[in-house]
Amino acid sequence: MVLQAVFMLFSAMAVGAALAVVTNKNIFHSALFLVVALLGVAGLYVLLEAPFIAVVQVLIYVGAISTLILFAIMLTRRLMDASERQRNEQWFISAIVAVGLFIVLVLSVGQVHWPVVHTDVPENHLNRLGQDLMEHYVLPFEVTAVLLLAALVGAIVIARERTR
Amino acid sequence: MTTRTPFLFLPQLILLLTTLVVFGIELVPGDERRRKDWLPAIALTGLGGAAMAIIFLWSRTTTPPAGSILAGMIVVDRFALFFQILAVTTTALVVLLSTDYMRDRTPDQGEFYGLLLIVCLAITLVVAAADLLMVYVGIELLSLTSYVLTGYLREDRKSTEAGIKYFLFGATASAAMLYGMSLFYGATRTTNLAAIATALSEAENSLRGLVIPAAVFLLAGFGFKIAAVPFHQWAPDAYEGAPTPITAFLSVGPKTAGFAVLVRVFLIALPNFYPDWMALLSSISIITMIVSNLVAIFQTNVKRMMAYSSISHAGYILIGIVCWGRGGFGGSFEGISGVLIYLLAYLFTNVGAFAVITAFEEATGSSRIEDYAGLVSRSPALAWAMLVFLFSLAGIPGTGGFIGKLYVFGAAIQARAYTLAVVGIITSVIAAFYYLNLLRYVFFQPPTENPKSITLSATAKITLIVTCVLTLAIGLYAQPFLQLAQASANLW
Amino acid sequence: MIPLHWFLIVAAALFCIGLYGVLSRRNAVGILMGIELMLNAVNVNLVAFWRYLDPLESLGQVFVLFVLAVAAAEAAVGLALIIAIYRNRDTIIVEDIDLMKW
Repeated sequence: MVLQAVFMLFSAMAVGAALAVVTNKNIFHSALFLVVALLGVAGLYVLLEAPFIAVVQVLIYVGAISTLILFAIMLTRRLMDASERQRNEQWFISAIVAVGLFIVLVLSVGQVHWPVVHTDVPENHLNRLGQDLMEHYVLPFEVTAVLLLAALVGAIVIARERTR
Repeated sequence: MTTRTPFLFLPQLILLLTTLVVFGIELVPGDERRRKDWLPAIALTGLGGAAMAIIFLWSRTTTPPAGSILAGMIVVDRFALFFQILAVTTTALVVLLSTDYMRDRTPDQGEFYGLLLIVCLAITLVVAAADLLMVYVGIELLSLTSYVLTGYLREDRKSTEAGIKYFLFGATASAAMLYGMSLFYGATRTTNLAAIATALSEAENSLRGLVIPAAVFLLAGFGFKIAAVPFHQWAPDAYEGAPTPITAFLSVGPKTAGFAVLVRVFLIALPNFYPDWMALLSSISIITMIVSNLVAIFQTNVKRMMAYSSISHAGYILIGIVCWGRGGFGGSFEGISGVLIYLLAYLFTNVGAFAVITAFEEATGSSRIEDYAGLVSRSPALAWAMLVFLFSLAGIPGTGGFIGKLYVFGAAIQARAYTLAVVGIITSVIAAFYYLNLLRYVFFQPPTENPKSITLSATAKITLIVTCVLTLAIGLYAQPFLQLAQASANLW
Repeated sequence: MIPLHWFLIVAAALFCIGLYGVLSRRNAVGILMGIELMLNAVNVNLVAFWRYLDPLESLGQVFVLFVLAVAAAEAAVGLALIIAIYRNRDTIIVEDIDLMKW
């Protein structure tokens, strides 16, 4: 019962804040709501007994990505002006598409009899995660390293000040 | 496994090492301008080394290979190696095209060639990926570097605009693709392609009901990479705004990678759902062929016209995938080898056409169709090369494009997919109209102004000769290329 | 225990809200935030599937880690492009960026 109430709390936080992110007229407020939504998602990870993922979520999403977004908004500051129109003309069709897709998704995941296994998460799960990352999944791990290098170099080249 | 695992990564290791050299060379003190002139040569050397390694592996690989490596993340089979060769060849030609074009346009030369090598590396990994996790990471590496290269000219309004549009579309498509992957993980508890097929054949019916929505989400991601309608909107903008050599790359590199992934994922992971995804892919193919060719007629910019042309070719190539099993492997036209021969011919033809466009832009600063008027009197070589490439794109006999179309349409007729074949042939005729219209300007319209003759640089000449010869070679003496495609068309 | 369906529905809601944001925003940063919501939906799906269907293996969580790492790189590249275009044009409203017609 308590678990379910906590679930309701976190999911209301995530979904409610997400709605605010996409509808708020002030883009700066949207970005702040994004932080709230991401924290709500982190709460869901805790409920799912994945505390490590929850911490990484807070560090990367809340700590890094949201900060980047806030910086970008402040660097392009004319956009913080609340009078700027933020919605395009297709917003109504978009809303219908989104609601339609939601109904389809709920129906398709809802009709499945999920073969749920009732086991606890093993004690040493985190060790296992680290080990798998270095053995089983080492190739995507290395490729991600190249990806971060490429993104770093690319972002610097593109965002650098004019040289002349 | 006869070849040891590290050897299977030899092409990738060579590419990575070259990338690091290219990145690092800026840090060496000394005369900066002279060092920059060396960058293309270093990149080409690395690509040549990688190509030799791939050919060596191709000759050593048995079909089917003894197994996949690194916990099933990657399969180095002849199919993958064929696509790796395409990637390395494309990148090498694009390096040649970039040598003059990028020299005056950006101060950041080292980073440019380094990122180009990383894109090539990404494609060589993606085409061999046998696990959705690897597919995802590979596609992201490919996409992120492509966005950067598209928006590379940071002081050029069109280039940054192309970059941002490409990025926003791409990131959305990859989020949708990921959602599909998460559903596959839920339905099968694995991300390995072969294991997904096994799990799905044993799964109960309600889980199987999840496969179609999940496959549609995956298609959003792959459709974006191959630029098929309705996931094509980014292409005209990105093609027009990107630096022209990068446009040449975008029209071939990500597209071939997308097709390789599409074929592997759908054939290996979802063979039991063939009727469902066949219907899905044929409708995408039909819409793509019709929409792109009709819109292409009205374009006034060559790069935009080539974008719609490139979208239309995605439609034709999809026919080959749709008509995969139905013709039977015993038939003389087989869908997948049709796809491979088509892509091979398309590579040389399209890069060649963009070599002409790049050379023309270098000389005149324009890419408007009407400015091509009287090109034949300004540079006969460019005009005749353009004739070869446009004939090949239109699928006129004697060129590589004809062989590609022959094989995919042949597969369609053999598989009794008459609708696809008929739509394909009719839209090819429509396409011939806009290709010939451009040729009309090149050969029969008098030059409007500034009728100076165009001189070609050495690298432009090399690119044009290589692409022209191979486009014609595939068309006139197709046998060895067909054998190569057929030998590579076997997925384990 | 909370039913698995609940998590999947929350994920679907986040995904569709994010998609709405992507489709309806004029501002490139706004679109980027929509994309981040979609990626979070994927991660909720993955972690929920892992916990309920496959808790003894690490695959689900590994996948989430990759998505997180890639999302960070993607955000960096995207925001770099946004800053570059702002310098050139003084706007990041996607409709206004119309040198090239749709």
